[in-house]
Amino acid sequence: MSTDPPLKELALHNITVRFGGLTALDDVSLRVAPGRIVGVIGPNGAGKTTLFNVICGFVNPTSGSLTLDGQPWRPRPHHLNRLGIARTLQGVGQFAGMTVLENVMVGARNRHAEREALTALERCGVARYAGAHPGALPYAIRKRIELARALVAKPRILMLDEPAGGLDSDEIRWLGTLIKEVGTTVLLVEHHMDLVMSVCDEILVLDFGRSIALGTPGEISENPRVTESYLGAPA
Amino acid sequence: MDRFIYLTFDGLSRGLVYAAFALALVLIWRAARIVNFAQGSMAVAAVYVAYSVTNATGSYWLGFVVALLAGLLLGVLVERVVMRFVDHSSPLNGVVVALGLVLVLQGTLGIIYGNEYQPVETPFSRDAFEVGGIAMLSRYDLFVFAAVGTVVVVLTLLFTRTAIGLRMRAAAFAPDVSRLLGVSVGGMLTLGWALAAAVGSLAGMLVVPTELGVHPTAMDVVFVSAFTAAVVGGLDSPIGAVVGGLIVGLLLSYVSGYIDVTVAPMAILALLVLVLLGKPGGLFSSSKARVA
Repeated sequence: MSTDPPLKELALHNITVRFGGLTALDDVSLRVAPGRIVGVIGPNGAGKTTLFNVICGFVNPTSGSLTLDGQPWRPRPHHLNRLGIARTLQGVGQFAGMTVLENVMVGARNRHAEREALTALERCGVARYAGAHPGALPYAIRKRIELARALVAKPRILMLDEPAGGLDSDEIRWLGTLIKEVGTTVLLVEHHMDLVMSVCDEILVLDFGRSIALGTPGEISENPRVTESYLGAPA
Repeated sequence: MDRFIYLTFDGLSRGLVYAAFALALVLIWRAARIVNFAQGSMAVAAVYVAYSVTNATGSYWLGFVVALLAGLLLGVLVERVVMRFVDHSSPLNGVVVALGLVLVLQGTLGIIYGNEYQPVETPFSRDAFEVGGIAMLSRYDLFVFAAVGTVVVVLTLLFTRTAIGLRMRAAAFAPDVSRLLGVSVGGMLTLGWALAAAVGSLAGMLVVPTELGVHPTAMDVVFVSAFTAAVVGGLDSPIGAVVGGLIVGLLLSYVSGYIDVTVAPMAILALLVLVLLGKPGGLFSSSKARVA
């Protein structure tokens, strides 16, 4: 019997974020049920990364609230790791002055940091780069290292911010398999629609900060409003 | 040749003290991107605490330990009460606040202890051993070697072998990414200031007895040498601080021994100018790899 802590339900209730006169998120609600893979899509500037920043505590919502496991929750960035929430960044964001292994070890949560970091690197197929410095490695490898750093703490909610950006089709196929096999709740911001449609249980579509659709991949691909504003008219 | 050997050992001993002090500057620079101009005054405050404890108890070693603890505490206080509230949008803000702290500390110490030099004894003899008729090192030099060597080893192990050291490095490189990984960046900053202030206090405890004694401004000249050492090595590099300290110590010793002691400050200035013109990032700088 697994001794892992239970997956958590994350919910956003009527979140609005304004930066001066710009409304980045407008009354957005989302419930991420435990174990589900939820995609967040939309054109550039739709508010996807702002949504992630709200969940991470980097941006405070102007109005609205969050709950975690049904309890009111005000996220703080350095509490996320302890709560079992991990996030990757669009810009990779690795510590240039550290080795790959050290980069991953920073995210580990117990005494066996080195062993767990190596296991995470192996899982992502990049253990052989453990002693290298990330700045000298190809972008696709650094993306895998970023994933390993997110996975090392065995998160219960994994937030992936455009993980397929800059990857070739083989890498994206590998990424899709990993996301499906990771066995945790996943929130995925991504532009690569084949990946989103193939891995997600549910998809939220944002446009100019507003939620314009929420449903299964099949429902989203047939939603005329989504087709009009984001996916484009069929050929 | 005898003179050269003596001056070399003297320079190495003095250089290690500058190295420790430069290391303190580098620790804070890496953590907070501030050149802590108050480091000398903070170190003097710790030396005064040791002076009081030693006078009251008669124990040098109790005073020594209390000075290091006082340094730790002062580092925590300065970061938590003063530096945390500095607007870091301009690097000058931190410098100005640090200079203000120098005035406050020196004024307060002057009020409490007076503005006279108070002689401080060394725990070991400063008479040099002679080997084959050549004056080499004193027991006190050996103590300095051991103390600074211990600090360098402990800091190296801390930063390369422990989770807390790894987190301190991460927090210094990319604070926001570190937060996402569960690092308490504020806590690491406080720890960095505490460690730096303790190392600075050690440097003060080692150098003050070899000068005129303890005085509110006793570390001002040492600060100039240590700052030069940190710049020579590269403000980002702990190894650079140690090498820079040794270079400055040897230069001061040779110039004082072969030319004149009054020329020594000019030599330090010339070294600083040369390095800033030729390699502004310092000999061991890794600033290009930094994110923060």
